[in-house]
Amino acid sequence: MSKVVEISPTTRHEGHSKLVLKVNDAGIIETGNWCSITPVRGVERLAVGKTMEQVPKIASRVCGICPIAHTLAGIESMEASIGCEIPQDAYLLRVILQLANRLHSHALHDILILPDLYIPGTDTKINPFTPEEPVRSVAKRIQRLREIGQTIGQIAGGEAVHPSNPRIGGMYKACTPRAKAKMYDLAKEGLVLAHQQMDFMIAVIRNFHKRDWAEVGGKKIAIPKDLGFHNQGYMATHPFYGSTSLDECPTWDYDRFKEVRPWDWYMGEMEVDLADPSYPIGGTSPVGTKVNPQMEACTGIPMYDGQPVEVGPRARLAVFKGYDEKGTQGQNIAREMEYTDSLYAMLNALDEYDPSGPVLADEIPCGDGSMGWSANEAPRGTDVHLARVKDNKVLWYSMLVPTTWNFATCSAALTGAPWQLAEIVVRGYDPCVSCATHMIVIDEDNKLVAQKLIQ
Amino acid sequence: MGLLSSVFKKNDQQKPADVAKAEITKKEVKPVVDKITVGHVHMSGCTGCLVSLADNYGGLLTILDKYADLVYGLTLADVRHIPKMDVALVEGSVCINDKLSVEEIKQTREKAAIVVAVGGCASYGNITRFCRGGQQNQPQHEAFLPIGDLIKVDVYIPGCAPTPQLIRNVCIMAYLLLKGSPEQKALATNYLKPLMMAAQKGTSACFCDLMTEVIDQGLCMGCGSCAAACPVRAITHEYGKPQGTRDLCIKCGACYNQCPRSWFSFDVVPEYESIMELIDTVMK
Amino acid sequence: MGAELGKYKSCVSARSTDKAILAGAQDGGIVTTLFAYALEEGIIDGAIVAGPGDMPWKPRPMIATTYEELMAARGTKYNISPNVSFIKEATRSYGLDKVGIVGTPCQMQAVRKGQLYPIGLRDVSDKIALAVGIFCMENFPYQSIVQLAEDHAAMKLESVKKMEIGKGKFTFMSERGAVVPLPLKVTHKYEQPGCHVCLDYVANLADVSCGSVGSPDGWSTVFVRSKKGDDIWAKSVAAGCFETKAIDSVKPGLELVTKLANEKIGKNQKTVEERKTFGVGKGLRIPYI
Ligand SMILES: Cc1cc2nc3c(=O)[nH]c(=O)nc-3n(C[C@H](O)[C@H](O)[C@H](O)COP(=O)(O)OP(=O)(O)OC[C@H]3O[C@@H](n4cnc5c(N)ncnc54)[C@H](O)[C@@H]3O)c2cc1C
Ligand code: SF4
Ligand code: SF4
Ligand code: SF4
Ligand code: SF4
Repeated sequence: MSKVVEISPTTRHEGHSKLVLKVNDAGIIETGNWCSITPVRGVERLAVGKTMEQVPKIASRVCGICPIAHTLAGIESMEASIGCEIPQDAYLLRVILQLANRLHSHALHDILILPDLYIPGTDTKINPFTPEEPVRSVAKRIQRLREIGQTIGQIAGGEAVHPSNPRIGGMYKACTPRAKAKMYDLAKEGLVLAHQQMDFMIAVIRNFHKRDWAEVGGKKIAIPKDLGFHNQGYMATHPFYGSTSLDECPTWDYDRFKEVRPWDWYMGEMEVDLADPSYPIGGTSPVGTKVNPQMEACTGIPMYDGQPVEVGPRARLAVFKGYDEKGTQGQNIAREMEYTDSLYAMLNALDEYDPSGPVLADEIPCGDGSMGWSANEAPRGTDVHLARVKDNKVLWYSMLVPTTWNFATCSAALTGAPWQLAEIVVRGYDPCVSCATHMIVIDEDNKLVAQKLIQ
Repeated sequence: MGLLSSVFKKNDQQKPADVAKAEITKKEVKPVVDKITVGHVHMSGCTGCLVSLADNYGGLLTILDKYADLVYGLTLADVRHIPKMDVALVEGSVCINDKLSVEEIKQTREKAAIVVAVGGCASYGNITRFCRGGQQNQPQHEAFLPIGDLIKVDVYIPGCAPTPQLIRNVCIMAYLLLKGSPEQKALATNYLKPLMMAAQKGTSACFCDLMTEVIDQGLCMGCGSCAAACPVRAITHEYGKPQGTRDLCIKCGACYNQCPRSWFSFDVVPEYESIMELIDTVMK
Repeated sequence: MGAELGKYKSCVSARSTDKAILAGAQDGGIVTTLFAYALEEGIIDGAIVAGPGDMPWKPRPMIATTYEELMAARGTKYNISPNVSFIKEATRSYGLDKVGIVGTPCQMQAVRKGQLYPIGLRDVSDKIALAVGIFCMENFPYQSIVQLAEDHAAMKLESVKKMEIGKGKFTFMSERGAVVPLPLKVTHKYEQPGCHVCLDYVANLADVSCGSVGSPDGWSTVFVRSKKGDDIWAKSVAAGCFETKAIDSVKPGLELVTKLANEKIGKNQKTVEERKTFGVGKGLRIPYI
């Protein structure tokens, strides 16, 4: 007899989401639905009628962890629509900014997953904020890596969180030779730390997956060897940057994309009949709670060639480097492997960058309403923005953000895992839920959700 | 409600009671005598404010070691429900069409002695001022309000993203206010006062505030702070005076609040050297 | 020492020892020399100064990272140069870690407010390495300078070589040697209105502040105010950048500075008060809390 358990809200990721899980007698997930419950700010709608310069600034603000991706995908979709080519040095500054954001974001993710992992050779979980060694040195290294990423991003992009320097047609400001040298030095320092951090994280991730059990809420839960496995495909458009042209990158083709409603994909109305008050911290939802993922709280399901696909670090490594490690372990390790890669790519871009080159296109067309798209490889996956611009105004705008792609894929990956480890699977996707919120459904009955959360 | 209202003379009598309450709050949550408890409440924001808090880098670790226990914050901690706390750092505006959000902001006011609106969204609505609803799959989510329209807010930290340094300063000052010596309390009170007055002033700000409250009032002297502060480069200076591209402005309130002619405290700013030294010392 | 002169550690009359700087400086060349020294010593990576703009006598804030750039920005332009507008960008695309900035007293207030309350100035607070203030009685919109030069002083703005306010006159000097002193009662109407609530004459919040008042022609009165300022000033004097004289040994000395400071603050304090009852039952905003 299968039972229904709900974890709401999920923690240690960005934004509000929850898990509704149908489990068997052994507590193994038969069907898992992971859905977002953050209100929809509706950036796609509010963009209509605004100027093409303003919309990417607003789009940046759907997410503070990968705002760079939203800024760049937003701007480049407009540029694709109006047919504007940007100077090479502006492109290089964008590349540097992109990679700087990846560095900071991956480092932040390390802080978020460390509490799930164990110090190798012990049964002690890692609290990243403890002042005790060896953890404190790791925390400091993570923060220094983040500082390096944010500082480089701030120099190239104007601001560390929401970049102010990118604009339609290129960049507002070129970086001086001094700024270039500073970024270079920081990247060099980062490279050393990134190697150490990657080695450390891969060791503790592998250690976790070698273990037989993990402790959750005072119970020992068996860790399956296939935790987080799924058979969906991968999608990536570039090892680190992105694309706005099918000639240059045939991997993202608008015609192969389709979005279906949650109705076709998620479970219908059910009642929670399994609850665990000892689940950390605050317990799962009580027995009797009504849930209805299909109606209640799910994203639309973007499909590529008729299937949900995985996007993110593993997808990039799988598509471009033949990487084949599966499951949550493979995903977390792929993310670590991107650390050093992003710094090498950044150093290359810096080498190539000419501080005296122009950074703004000579001509910025006003647009005739043509469709333009841009796929940008955000830290957590392909971020596709689509736009039609006419006479400087946005006629239509759409964002297919990384976590939206991953919602359905991750739901599939939950099958076969003990429900207590579901959040670990979710965190493997490094979800960033706020930005996925433009796709969310919560029905008129969301009073229930409110009561559940606030008991 | 609101510990900080005591700073204003008219509410003087509230102070002792509320301080006592803050002590109890802390003991209930964690028995570390000399730390305050802080939570991060995420409403309709982008988490950029939280990233800014984290961007104190090593300083974040120092704050958590010495001055504050992070008792809530879905992104950084496993606690699922809002606990009692001394200081709630609220990010994002409130979607009033979402019952959960409305409940959470009310809970926050009940559970926190000091409520701080962190960032443009919580303080002034920021980009959520532009929300229109009508989008799949949640067309009814159309009305978003800064938290100050629903609850009393004690302190504002405007900006998009707000800066790590101002978030740090407010955390330290809140600590000194609750745990410091009488002199430190007085300093913290003075420091926080303008940010409290900003919270009292209202919930809307954009480039227009510079026009209506500074330039139109004959107060602008062309320093350039507003242009430096703007996170979207919406302000240029033409013949020395600020010119806003209102089509770019996201309504974050940074320009207005950074302007030395919007508010300026002769009690605090001339003491910049000693205050910055104090902050450096406590962060060591 | 009265509050009108702010807190300071020392006060001297000084003049640059660099003849090239003095040739184009406003007074004692204090600002340019101090920045040149700080650049040379690595105390700053660059300085935000009022460089030449796109029209005669119209300043444009710029970041000087060389002696030549500092030289190009010498001299007082009596209209607005929003120097603080570069304070964040200096640390971004310019890549500066140690920023120098020169500005009027109000701009020094802006810098310090920005350091203590960095609302839109992320990662800037700890990068202000040297803030040099210049005394200021009032400033003017650009159009005022045009009208003063062209109508009152009967000079084309392009041909004005130097402007100077001192000894109760606003003096225009042309390339061809004409010198036209205008009485300040003529210039008052042209002042920037925002200056009329200004309560600081001698840049109380600068690290080092300077102006012509109090010292003989070609010399400057220098207040050394902060620890940072004290350190840099002492080193630059020791390095032979300046000749100095005790302030009580020069004429007219601090007495005049004090008098003018009190006049300015008193007059503007009154304006601030009057704002409260400006309308009928309605007042104007006052920024000071
Ligand atoms: C509007 C204004 C009013 C002044 N009023 C007085 C006064 O009443 N009494 C008095 O003693 N001194 C006054 N001064 C200061 C004085 O004119 C000199 O600027 C000061 O003595 C420095 O001279 P110096 O030779 O040391 O500097 P220099 O070596 O000549 O360098 C001057 C520096 O100031 C910068 N600068 C020039 N114009 C501006 C501007 N508009 N805004 C910001 N920075 C600028 C330049 O870029 C340069 O770096 C005033 C200055 C200004 C700008
Ligand atoms: S203020 Fe800015 S950084 Fe903060 S939540 Fe709003 S959009 Fe994000
Ligand atoms: S002009 Fe800029 S700083 Fe001012 S409110 Fe608008 S976006 Fe914010
Ligand atoms: S910050 Fe205020 S005083 Fe300074 S230029 Fe802007 S509006 Fe004017
Ligand atoms: S008088 Fe005051 S407000 Fe006017 S420019 Fe001088 S310092 Fe600034």
